[in-house]
Amino acid sequence: MTETRAPNTLTPSSPAVAPGVAGAVAPDTLLRVDNLVKHFEIRGGLLGMSRVGAVKAVDGVSFSVRRGEALGLVGESGCGKTTLGKVILRLLPATSGRVEMDGQVLFDIPARGEPRRRPVYASNEAMKKVRQNMQVVFQDPYASLNPRMSVGELVGEGPLVHGMTDKKEREALVRDMLGRVGLNQSHIHRYPHEFSGGQRQRIGIARALALHPAFIVCDEPVSALDVSIQSQVLNLLNDLQAELGLTYLFIAHNLAVVEHISDRVGVMYLGKLVEMANVDDIYANPRHPYTVALLSAVPEPDPHRRKKRIILKGDIPSPANPPSGCRFHTRCWLREQLGRPERCTTEEPVLRALGSGQESACHFAEEISPEAVASAVASSGPTVTAEP
Amino acid sequence: MATTRGAQEALLEVVDLRTHFATADGLVRAVDGVSLRIRPGKTLGVVGESGCGKSITALSIMRLIERPGRIVSGSITFDGQDLLRLPEDEMRNIRGNEISMIFQEPMTSLNPVYTCGDQIAEAVSRHGSLTQREAAARAVEMLEQVGIPDAKRRAGEHPHQLSGGMRQRVMIAMALSTNPQLLIADEPTTALDVTIQAQILELMKALRERNGMAIMLITHDLGVVAEMSDDVSVMYAGKVVESSDAITVYDRPHHPYTKGLLASIPRMGARRERLDVIKGVVPNPLNLPSGCLFKRRCPYAMPICDNAPPLRLVAEGHVSRCWLAPDGGRPELGEAPSAAEAEAAALTLTVANP
Amino acid sequence: MASSESIRSGAAGPTSTSTDTDEVDLVAVQTYWQLVRRRFLRNRTAVIGLVLLAFLVFSAIVFPMVGGDAWYRTSLVHHPTDPVSIDAPLGYDNLGRNIFFRLTKGLQTSLIIGFFAVLIITLIGTTFGSISGYAGGLVDNVMMRVVDIVLSLPGFFLILMLVAFIGGIVPPMMVIIIAIGITGWTTAARLVRAEFLRLRESDFVQAAKALGASDSRIIIRHMVPSAMAPVLVAATLGIADAVVTEAALSFLGYGIRDPDASLGNMLTAAQDYFYRQPLWIYYPGITLILVVLAASFVGDGLRDALDPRQKLEA
Repeated sequence: MTETRAPNTLTPSSPAVAPGVAGAVAPDTLLRVDNLVKHFEIRGGLLGMSRVGAVKAVDGVSFSVRRGEALGLVGESGCGKTTLGKVILRLLPATSGRVEMDGQVLFDIPARGEPRRRPVYASNEAMKKVRQNMQVVFQDPYASLNPRMSVGELVGEGPLVHGMTDKKEREALVRDMLGRVGLNQSHIHRYPHEFSGGQRQRIGIARALALHPAFIVCDEPVSALDVSIQSQVLNLLNDLQAELGLTYLFIAHNLAVVEHISDRVGVMYLGKLVEMANVDDIYANPRHPYTVALLSAVPEPDPHRRKKRIILKGDIPSPANPPSGCRFHTRCWLREQLGRPERCTTEEPVLRALGSGQESACHFAEEISPEAVASAVASSGPTVTAEP
Repeated sequence: MATTRGAQEALLEVVDLRTHFATADGLVRAVDGVSLRIRPGKTLGVVGESGCGKSITALSIMRLIERPGRIVSGSITFDGQDLLRLPEDEMRNIRGNEISMIFQEPMTSLNPVYTCGDQIAEAVSRHGSLTQREAAARAVEMLEQVGIPDAKRRAGEHPHQLSGGMRQRVMIAMALSTNPQLLIADEPTTALDVTIQAQILELMKALRERNGMAIMLITHDLGVVAEMSDDVSVMYAGKVVESSDAITVYDRPHHPYTKGLLASIPRMGARRERLDVIKGVVPNPLNLPSGCLFKRRCPYAMPICDNAPPLRLVAEGHVSRCWLAPDGGRPELGEAPSAAEAEAAALTLTVANP
Repeated sequence: MASSESIRSGAAGPTSTSTDTDEVDLVAVQTYWQLVRRRFLRNRTAVIGLVLLAFLVFSAIVFPMVGGDAWYRTSLVHHPTDPVSIDAPLGYDNLGRNIFFRLTKGLQTSLIIGFFAVLIITLIGTTFGSISGYAGGLVDNVMMRVVDIVLSLPGFFLILMLVAFIGGIVPPMMVIIIAIGITGWTTAARLVRAEFLRLRESDFVQAAKALGASDSRIIIRHMVPSAMAPVLVAATLGIADAVVTEAALSFLGYGIRDPDASLGNMLTAAQDYFYRQPLWIYYPGITLILVVLAASFVGDGLRDALDPRQKLEA
């Protein structure tokens, strides 16, 4: 089902991987994230000088993205997926961790408890080069376009900032980009407010593409769009990826959308990556109880398939005060089934390989079986019987 | 299943409702020819994209349309009486007692300065003759019924102290405190996370079973509709374009918009290389095309589509607002043919002539 | 109009194969400011305010020019009891000065004070607020406490004190402008700071950052233009405030003094003749009210036209 995507040979701006630069990094790794932490401090006291607490938005996430693939990142609100994207893009400063993009270290900040060393940041010049190679598409097509700038200025801003000062050359590029994203080239002088949501999102995509990046962070790119428009934009993103050999980090909460676009999928819960696998594996055979529940909770657009589902108890805990041990233990159905083992509340599980490239951060991932899931469904309270 | 429609008396019947808004930019026909029927104890899913008029339809039924909006024409028959002809005080009685409504963002409909318990108690005592103490006890009981743990303590909390899912439960408790016959739920789970949405949908199903109430479920999520609804009405640009029972709409959609919508959504476990798309964009409400509102995006568009199509009967209990629907059968929309139908019939003739 | 515009834009090139765009072609090309103008012009009160303000400004420029020294030239020939004429539509005052020209000169003085005071307010406020908002953190915190301190000073007495201190050195008009300017900038500073804090997190600023745009480009190209909208509204409303403050100062005798004319000192002078010449109080009084009303109407109209919460529909 998953097609292997063409290697990234079409993108002019992506240099060949410099051998030896990244050491252990596999040659086809474009982005590597190591133990990334982002805490938002809650400050109080006079002039906000004292630290009262911290929202642990991202709390030790590691993964890598291969050149040419689309990595999906799913999770519910407060799981830190959007923050993760912004920290990788250096739109937010990281608390600690290391991010390396195409051989260039963006930052490397030691974590608390690690031996002390100087944090490393890419220089402004180096960062500017990286930005050319790493772009972003935002969720809200209304807020992400400056209302005072024309389409031409919006899409041409990147090239201008990176030294394409010739107006004619820039306009030609903008027209090319508009054509690529399916917008009418004659609309170059129009303003964002004249367009519908879907068209605005195309403008946002054109703006990201204008720098010929190899890597694009798509932060919920379709969730603000109407249902009938979402598929247009999803197809466009797919086409562009095939055409230009793009690499995506695709952040979304809609599991069906993520399944559609991704080669691999990571599931986040309260600032942690709890499962990571190839798209087909994770949807067919989830190996973390949270993933199982998440997949089970999605209502399917088919009245014949009204299913009984696992209903998780309670709310998502606050990321300012996450549960001890496994963060999911307060709502975990598997823990209940196993008779509430002590380990879940005391020991924090790490993401571990389960064979076939699937990784799960559950102490008892091996216990997940169709029978276990079925019995969890059965114990999930009263459900209305499905219609024939 | 499909054949029972029509035979059964409707709890709520909306015929050719039109609600227009006179804005500075021009007249917006937010609802322009909506006909719906909700059977007692059954759930009608109203699906449509943003701006299609589904929320305005709900507010019209509740008669909560405020200036510059106005219900221009149509009838809304609930339990035998036309709501649009009712004096305001009788309508107030129906609102809350007979028909309750819950919204997408419960925070906007809960008063931040009162505790949840007080607000439910007020709703209870406003519609019944209970002492304060009884009302307070009933409030706690309601909170328990909607699955709020530690209900007694929660009753003393203010809305901002609760999570989104809990607030929606409080809203539901409030809406159901008077045992309404009809619950109008406007995007009740859109602001919630998937796992919390599952909780709320499950709760609504259980309460529906127990109270035997009908639900008008308004949403853009085709999954939620499939999950919950007995009947489905699809809206587009202020009009109902297709109505039938849920199975029929999902299995044998007739209207090109419904077909397009169902084909375009990504589905789990059914990965495709490309999604089908509905081309184009939703028309600007200030600049609607003449004739069929979907024609610019429709793969089947033909010359006749320059005339507005009437709702036509496709099969028993299945209507579609499309010229592709078989001619002949007059859509069954209540007792007497409405003005819109007369107009539609006339149109059919004029089209047939040249 | 819309159709002709769209024909022009449609003719610019062969339409692409994408059918996604046809809806856009139905509306005319409009820049953001054209859109704001259109919404402003649709607001009847705002347009009335604008016309009134234009008329007042016109009067304040043209009539003093036409009248020459008529506004302060005393005369033994003319008396308050003289019948009104083309030369003196509002008659003459107790010193035989032409009241009409004196009134327009006074209006000129008041408007100049209003304009320049607001200019100072806006300059100080915008600079202070933008630095505070862009820097954030401790800098922001300290700067905002400074604002709190300035705000907690009783403004009017501060102005009186300033007038007393520098009144002898600087011309009276300058004194008032400076006094109003350096006490009134706090509101503008708070507005700009709030806007900057909001804009810093806004998606389009983040997008510019992601494109690699420099800080200066982000501030000048993206943040300042967006933050200026509320400042513009505040400045327009501020003109009314400044004119009233001037009138109050002059009325108390600390502002513009006879023989110079301002709306305030004309009011003061008219006090003494309240029973014999009641109209003398109405002339500057009504003019003052008109200035305040016109500025408020325009300010409110601008606020509505610039409001980002309003849907930017064409």
